[in-house]
Amino acid sequence: MFDQFLIRKDSLENVTENGRVTGFKFAVRIADYRGCFLSLHNGYYLTVDGVEYPNELQKFQINGKEPRTYEELKTCCWEHWDYDDEGFVYVQKEGGLESGVHHIGIQQSILAQYGYMPWDEEWVLHPPVPGSGQGAGKTETVSFFDIALSEGGNE
Amino acid sequence: MAIKRGVSLYSYQQSQFFKKLDWKAQIREVREGLGTDGIEIINEQLIRHYPFPTEEFLYDWRSYMARYNMQAVTMDVYLDVHQFRDHVMTHREAAEHLKNDIRLAAKMGFQNIRTLVLVPIDVIEAVLPTAEKYNVKIGKEIHAPWPIKPGNFVQPKKGMAAGINFRAVDEIVELRERTGSRYVGLVPDFGIFQHSPSDVAIAYVKRHAKKPEAVDWILENAPAYGHDELIDAVDEKFPDHGIPINNIDRMALHKPCCAPEDLIDIIPYIVSIHGKFYNMTEIPGKPGCYEDKCIDYETPVRYLRQHGFDGYINSEFEGQRDQQDMGEEGLVDEVEQVRRHHEMLKRLLG
Repeated sequence: MFDQFLIRKDSLENVTENGRVTGFKFAVRIADYRGCFLSLHNGYYLTVDGVEYPNELQKFQINGKEPRTYEELKTCCWEHWDYDDEGFVYVQKEGGLESGVHHIGIQQSILAQYGYMPWDEEWVLHPPVPGSGQGAGKTETVSFFDIALSEGGNE
Repeated sequence: MAIKRGVSLYSYQQSQFFKKLDWKAQIREVREGLGTDGIEIINEQLIRHYPFPTEEFLYDWRSYMARYNMQAVTMDVYLDVHQFRDHVMTHREAAEHLKNDIRLAAKMGFQNIRTLVLVPIDVIEAVLPTAEKYNVKIGKEIHAPWPIKPGNFVQPKKGMAAGINFRAVDEIVELRERTGSRYVGLVPDFGIFQHSPSDVAIAYVKRHAKKPEAVDWILENAPAYGHDELIDAVDEKFPDHGIPINNIDRMALHKPCCAPEDLIDIIPYIVSIHGKFYNMTEIPGKPGCYEDKCIDYETPVRYLRQHGFDGYINSEFEGQRDQQDMGEEGLVDEVEQVRRHHEMLKRLLG
């Protein structure tokens, strides 16, 4: 669902910390017809220009709070990502992205379910790795975007 | 006693996603565009800061519903068993989750909640006292491919269908008879009368399959295979076909999982109905009259009328997700689709 609209197309920017470019970020929506408890958000399979950026290099920013790792989000059992709201995926990459258009592949992982399923215990012990096919919520496949880096808009 | 028309605001999920219609605009469309009053919602679609909405939101909701003279019919609730991540939610925790949804439904003026078909029966029994206290009925959804009457139903082991408890309807009827409670019942979804894949679904799956010819093969050959056998056969004949199991399931649909007459015995237990549809098209030779070519509405509605069903059929449009991969120009008009569905409902309800 909403696969083509998962990323806001004018949202790709480099991230600067203490005067140095440390990565990039972009805005996403929940690709479902409902929001979710934040604890269910299990990250993104993400490639940019053919380079894969695993969950360990990502953070997720939502609800006006600082960007958080997915390990931190796991404990946010009572905080909700509302359906109407946009979140930001932050990705660590020394120097950020170069000017111009980038080819982004993305699949969202939300462990939303409609009740008990045979794989439940397995998912507690070994949560699905985004992009592996399981736990993809309502994004069936990796979606691809060609998005230009927005420049000059950073703090 | 009458069958009434309503809308699940699920139908406007895409308009909400793109900020074209917020919940207030959706309610106005039901009142002014469709001339009716029944409202069903998805809790996690509509309620900001679920499960802790503000007092301001709750009052605003009740006030707006009052202003347009609407009926809060059913709130659809969920069961995400991985909420706590360090363990699978226990049944007692699931019951607490459901109790909270019931209290929330009551605060918003809803008559019913719809629980998912995979909610265990002991969880529903555990929350019955709460349902009675708050005067909110629990309706368990009957959703394809779950049967009303299991007969010789074979339990699938693959895909979502592996989670099927085909005795779900019997369990609800037994619980109701054993406890004598009027607060547990059923929410049949018209998808149980779908007899073939929707044209929008076929087009979608073909656009995304690495081997679209596999889709044609499934459409032609599915009737000759069991559920799990078909998946194996597709893998064997079309290696690397790139079609997820849920889409193989959708393409394999060749007969409804329930017969229209199966409804008759459960009418006393129905709290409300989901009017599922995918694509309303004009009936050839009948300008201004619409149908969904893959779901039988006429026969089940006739039985509902003949046997005195008294309640709401709430439109549940689900065709949008198969048309979201063709850019903004390719998006379907949800408002128009629901208007066509209500043309059909009005005509069939007489």
